[in-house]
Amino acid sequence: MPYDTLTGVEASSRQVRESNVMAHPGNSDEPASCATEDLMKQVQRGDMYAYQELIRRYQRRVFRIVSSYVRNPEDAMEVLQDTFLKVYAARHTWESRFSFAGWLYRIAINASIDRYRRSDRGRTSSLEDVMETQLQQSATTPEAPDPLDRLCDGERRRLLEAAVRNLPQRQREVVSLRYFAEMSLEEIATALGCPLGTVKSNLHKAVMGLKAMLLGQRGALSYE
Amino acid sequence: MSSCDSVREMLVLHAEDALGPEERLEVEQHLAGCASCAAEAAQVRKIRGWLSGPDLFVPQQDLTWQLLPEKLAVRAQAQSRRWSYPGLRFPKWAWCAVAMVVFAAGLTWTRRVQAPAPAEQPPQSAAGNEAFLGKVRTAYAREATAQYLTRCQNLLLDLTGADRKCTEDRYDVSLEVTQARQLLQEKRMLDPELSVPDVAHARNLCDELERFLLSLSTSQDCETRDALDTLERSIEKDQLLLRINLVQSGIALE
Repeated sequence: MPYDTLTGVEASSRQVRESNVMAHPGNSDEPASCATEDLMKQVQRGDMYAYQELIRRYQRRVFRIVSSYVRNPEDAMEVLQDTFLKVYAARHTWESRFSFAGWLYRIAINASIDRYRRSDRGRTSSLEDVMETQLQQSATTPEAPDPLDRLCDGERRRLLEAAVRNLPQRQREVVSLRYFAEMSLEEIATALGCPLGTVKSNLHKAVMGLKAMLLGQRGALSYE
Repeated sequence: MSSCDSVREMLVLHAEDALGPEERLEVEQHLAGCASCAAEAAQVRKIRGWLSGPDLFVPQQDLTWQLLPEKLAVRAQAQSRRWSYPGLRFPKWAWCAVAMVVFAAGLTWTRRVQAPAPAEQPPQSAAGNEAFLGKVRTAYAREATAQYLTRCQNLLLDLTGADRKCTEDRYDVSLEVTQARQLLQEKRMLDPELSVPDVAHARNLCDELERFLLSLSTSQDCETRDALDTLERSIEKDQLLLRINLVQSGIALE
């Protein structure tokens, strides 16, 4: 198999890989014993097993970020792959004084925006379309004091995903990094290269915007 | 007491625990006495909880996640190899120098063509130009061969990982078939380059790949699992992926 031909593997990184695979079989995003920044240094030296371990750690988080830009899961998967290929191609441009996660997510967001501009513009989910479909289905939901509570789990998820995709770009970046990549507000400010106040302001606008989008159809939601 | 508007401006950051102690106290005191703002705060917390929850934009649970790291590692290595030939790893100033030399050589050649008395030619200069052009051609042949092999390798990997079903028992390989046809055209353009000594050892492999591509290009867009298995067995039997790697390593080292 071609995987056997991967070269330049150091014993230490192979052990790291094997121990992580044992601890987090196959698909984990959990932090592992070897620091991410150390793994990235090994990748810079051409260690393909360290590269695989990095992918294993971050693939799901990156997928969630990418999915907030690209509706189609197959497209999201392609952008995810492009992101990690770009990470390898540009590995020498990463400097250890910067957060690897911030650098990676920046690449993922840029790749997502590229894809959106090239092919997904106009095909992103329309919140109104999703609302219209879901509202008919939720007609049987029992009355509740808060209109948001009338949404069942599946409806809520689809509406919220559509609403996130309809946010302005900078607000969507902040929401993705905060909730899907689980970065702190300070880390987001560093990753986006903007003041902390801007991040806070965008987060406020984003959450209030999402709330407004979900409640925008309040009349319809409450069937008044 | 704070106005409702100013408190509502802070509700998201309050839910994020990103307010200073004074602001937090101010918000909490206001919420304790204002039912409308308290309801607003509850909605903000609810949306924040949903966003933080695990069910938004969740990837499918399948084998892809286990196979992806290895697949990407192979692709990344193949891509980086394209740019790692010793002959092509020059700094920018070196490329400028090469461009100037090419320009000077072109200028010299033009003058020689226009010169009225070509009898007295300096033979060393002509030999030097020949050698230089030979090097350029060799570098081009190596690059073109390596790129062709990489594209073949990617196609073979895609083919072995084909999992998009047309129907219950048929697999969509239309993309791979199209790529195979394109690669067959590229092979025809590559043939003259394979006569360059530095890449001559890749000719046999390229010819075998051509035969494989020919067989793939005549496949249907939706193939049965048996047909795919036959193609995959052919790849394994001829060790095509391994040999591509070996030949590419040879090209990079020369």
